Amino acid sequence: MNENPMLPYLGKLVEVRDLAAEIKLFRVEMLNGGGEAFRNSQPGQFAFVSAFGLGEAPFGIANACGRGPAVDFAVARLGSVTTGLHELGEGDVVGVRGPMGNWFPMDKFKGKNLIVLGGGIGGAPLRPVIQHVLDHRSDYGRLTILWAARRPDLLVFTEEYDEWRAAADTDLHLTVDVPDEKWDHNVGLITQLLEKAAPATENAVTITCGPPVMIYHTTRMLEKMGFPPIWNYVTLEARMHCGLGKCGRCNLGEKLVCVDGPVFNMVEVGDLLETYL
Amino acid sequence: MSKPNSARKRWLISQAELETWLDGLAQAQTLIAPRDISGVVLYHPVAKSDEIAAGFTRPVLSVKEVFFPPTERLLSIEKTGAEIHLNETLPEGQTTVFGVRPCDARGARLLDAVFLDTAPADPYYARRRENTTLIGLACKEMGPTCFCTSVGGAPDDPTGVDVMLYPAEGGYLAEAISDKGHALLADAGWPESVVGGAAFSGGEHFPVPEKGKWPEHFNNDYWMKMSERCLSCRACTYVCPTCRCFAVRDEVLGPGEFERIRCWDACTGENYRRVAGGHKPRAEKGERLRNRFFCKFYYYPEQYGLGSASACTGCGRCIEVCPAGVDITEVLMNLEKPA
Repeated sequence: MNENPMLPYLGKLVEVRDLAAEIKLFRVEMLNGGGEAFRNSQPGQFAFVSAFGLGEAPFGIANACGRGPAVDFAVARLGSVTTGLHELGEGDVVGVRGPMGNWFPMDKFKGKNLIVLGGGIGGAPLRPVIQHVLDHRSDYGRLTILWAARRPDLLVFTEEYDEWRAAADTDLHLTVDVPDEKWDHNVGLITQLLEKAAPATENAVTITCGPPVMIYHTTRMLEKMGFPPIWNYVTLEARMHCGLGKCGRCNLGEKLVCVDGPVFNMVEVGDLLETYL
Repeated sequence: MSKPNSARKRWLISQAELETWLDGLAQAQTLIAPRDISGVVLYHPVAKSDEIAAGFTRPVLSVKEVFFPPTERLLSIEKTGAEIHLNETLPEGQTTVFGVRPCDARGARLLDAVFLDTAPADPYYARRRENTTLIGLACKEMGPTCFCTSVGGAPDDPTGVDVMLYPAEGGYLAEAISDKGHALLADAGWPESVVGGAAFSGGEHFPVPEKGKWPEHFNNDYWMKMSERCLSCRACTYVCPTCRCFAVRDEVLGPGEFERIRCWDACTGENYRRVAGGHKPRAEKGERLRNRFFCKFYYYPEQYGLGSASACTGCGRCIEVCPAGVDITEVLMNLEKPA
């Protein structure tokens, strides 16, 4: 971060592409010192991206630093800032503040089987986890990816599924709530997919991100299936405005998502998740 | 932050001497003091000491806006084609605030815990705080909604100011609290006093639930019941010396010219937690009001290392402004009642 933590770095958009319906991927080449700041960003960290004149909003960093130096963000067009970002193209300049927050303890996960559960655009902050595991494949056990969306056209990173499937000891399971005529995978909620895939609980760590209601029900299901809360990780989002533990907007009980998170295990936030809904 | 002055020298000054001194300060820098603006006493810039309100309990708004203005520019942004130029707009200028009540000095210290003491420090707040001298004024009596003595304060508590003034026979006893305050008073050329001020005695005192007890009150039905009268108007957070929630957004000034500002916001507001896409946690008034009380007595102390102290100064302003009669002292006493 800059010495003034409210001052963004500038970044040039080097790639903008459609990721899913109303979701774009922005690949940012950091300028004026930002490259150094993001060189060692960790899976799970986030940053604020500015559409100057409209404001800034927080987004999970969507690629592992090893896949850099450019930094990826997945942005769904929902409000004014994200609509402003969607109107930008390659060569345009955005602001980036970060990297911020804690991260998935990938070192602690070494030797464990990873179960990654992503719902919709919640898959974006999980992509660096998947990339990190694929790039350090022998450090980790089996990788099971459960990927869900409301509709097939809302699934993110579809063009990377072949890479994930081709990796050693890696499974990808897909589900949508509402299929189209071409859909030939599972239909239903991610909790149903989880029951069906029934990954082994032994030596496992689970990592979940998605809409609040998905995180809530998925983590409860995981616990019911016997996954210990201490190894059930989530990454949460809130519409924070500073990312520095000051603005007060992202509290989950006494925890601040921006500085105490966004990554938590369920021992830390299990009791507080109801207030997140 | 100003260092405490161990010697704590005292000077006896008359009302006339005080006025001359304040007039001098007002010429050298911005002087902010309680001022009657159309019947409302506010901490406000004054050009001369005769503009200072007499006989006030405490200003209607706290002193927080001196360090943390309701709206503040963070950056100016210029856009020419694809080029972006950013300019930090850090505040300039020296300010002295006269007439700071002990509850407000405490409020400033509590905001320091957020904006200065918890890394990273906020450069805008830090600059204002560093460039501001606080002259405290002890209260002769507690106002009708005041309860500072129940939350660890006192009407004559000098903690957190640079100079403390105690009303005394024929004028004031001025005490140097910080080194900065000592330098200011030593230069004034008044006779030193050997007598100390009489300590304030009395003041209502009621038990406030200890920090560790708060989690057990979380699922209490009381919150939903007591919040029925809340209008979500956010007045309580506006007047609170320690409510510090803010929003950051960009404003358009002209073609290619923008500013990034931050402005006060309130966790009791209906759309405070709403996110793009429509998801709105804490949709119920009771959940929001509970959050505010928990913030004062549990979250804020936990988040910013206050130990057993709370983030409530007992100034009573929220009681005074609530149009629906939500009374923080009533809430605290109800929580202490056996179930």
